[in-house]
Amino acid sequence: MTEPAEPRKRRLDLEPDTVERDLMKLVLTVVELLRQLMERQALRRVDEGDLSEDQEERIGLTLMLLDDRMTELRDRYGLRPEDLNLDLGPLGPLLPRE
Amino acid sequence: MTVVERREIALVDLLDRLLAGGVVITGDVTLRIADVDLVRIDLNALISSVNRNVPSPFGD
Amino acid sequence: MTGLRYVYAVCRPFGAALQSQLAGVADDPPRLLPHGDLVAVVSHVPEADFGEAALRDHLEDLDWLTATARAHQQVVDALTAVTTPLPLRLATVFKDDSGVRVMLEEREAAFRRTLDRLDGRVEWGVKVYVEADPAQQAQSARPAASAEPAPKPASGRDYLRQRRRQSRANEDLWSRAEQFATGLHATLSDRADGARLHAPQNPRLSGAAGRNVLNAAYLVARDASEEFVEMVDRTKDDAPGIRVELTGPWAAYSFAGETEEEGS
Repeated sequence: MTEPAEPRKRRLDLEPDTVERDLMKLVLTVVELLRQLMERQALRRVDEGDLSEDQEERIGLTLMLLDDRMTELRDRYGLRPEDLNLDLGPLGPLLPRE
Repeated sequence: MTVVERREIALVDLLDRLLAGGVVITGDVTLRIADVDLVRIDLNALISSVNRNVPSPFGD
Repeated sequence: MTGLRYVYAVCRPFGAALQSQLAGVADDPPRLLPHGDLVAVVSHVPEADFGEAALRDHLEDLDWLTATARAHQQVVDALTAVTTPLPLRLATVFKDDSGVRVMLEEREAAFRRTLDRLDGRVEWGVKVYVEADPAQQAQSARPAASAEPAPKPASGRDYLRQRRRQSRANEDLWSRAEQFATGLHATLSDRADGARLHAPQNPRLSGAAGRNVLNAAYLVARDASEEFVEMVDRTKDDAPGIRVELTGPWAAYSFAGETEEEGS
């Protein structure tokens, strides 16, 4: 019978560690980054008066649906918004922590 | 005298001071630990898995 | 020879007895190791745990680190009741008494300069947090814990408008927070004998609400501390959405190392 030689050191992250969930976390983090970038650009263009009403409506709907879908997927994997982030060491977090 | 509630001292506050504060001395045993490596053992390393093969971003 | 020497702090000789129930690191109650004008406060620790490889390993174990940090802090704290200690960084370990003495000898001048500077002073920690405004929780599908859910947008354009409002409110909050923290730091630095910034704290480790935007330490004379604390306390209600936390008094951990830059 194989037992660990010494008790596992406790790390702060006590959540169950599945490969699928980790992959999802990574994927969702990237998608979230894109969503934020797209949203920021959309808002900028709206402010500049760059878009027709129709375009605004379509972009707004798309972003809203994407937002909803993200929430669904996050909930399904038990991920909070704060979990979707990557620490780039000295460069700080990938996504703003707000 | 003070208005500070005497709660248990938070671990993070302690680690801020014990890992990044204090005089850095070249102990016989802990030359590396005291100087370079403690800077590397940052709090994020404690939370996620530690990979000792990752070189220090600050160089040696 | 009983193991290695773990050094907590260096101080001037002091008369009073150290509090008796200090467990110390590795359950070795602290002892005094005098040399010339200075005293090192040490514990004897086993090489099995405090040799370089073992120590490196242990320092990555949060449980071990926590226990050691607390034992260390307990000793330094007890010292502040009887003297002004110059705290050393965690895990400063020497092979034997002789090693400690050599160190004290070599750094005597620097230690004395620092001890003079720290004499009669303590450290206060001030942290500023930005708390997310419940009215701006970003995700419309998720109601904020303590507020009404944002009304579901009626159209794509409505959604964009809502996001723009939230984004602007957020920017406002951040710019106010930045101004507040900068102003507070300037005021407190001015009032204190020294100031030092620490890195913002990781919320996953601290469990604190909101984002830590200022994590500072101030060196203040003991008899100026009451006023200093009152000053910090007065600022607490100045900024909505912003939280100020005060910790202390600490021994002057954050100010012990400055002599490094002065050259020796």
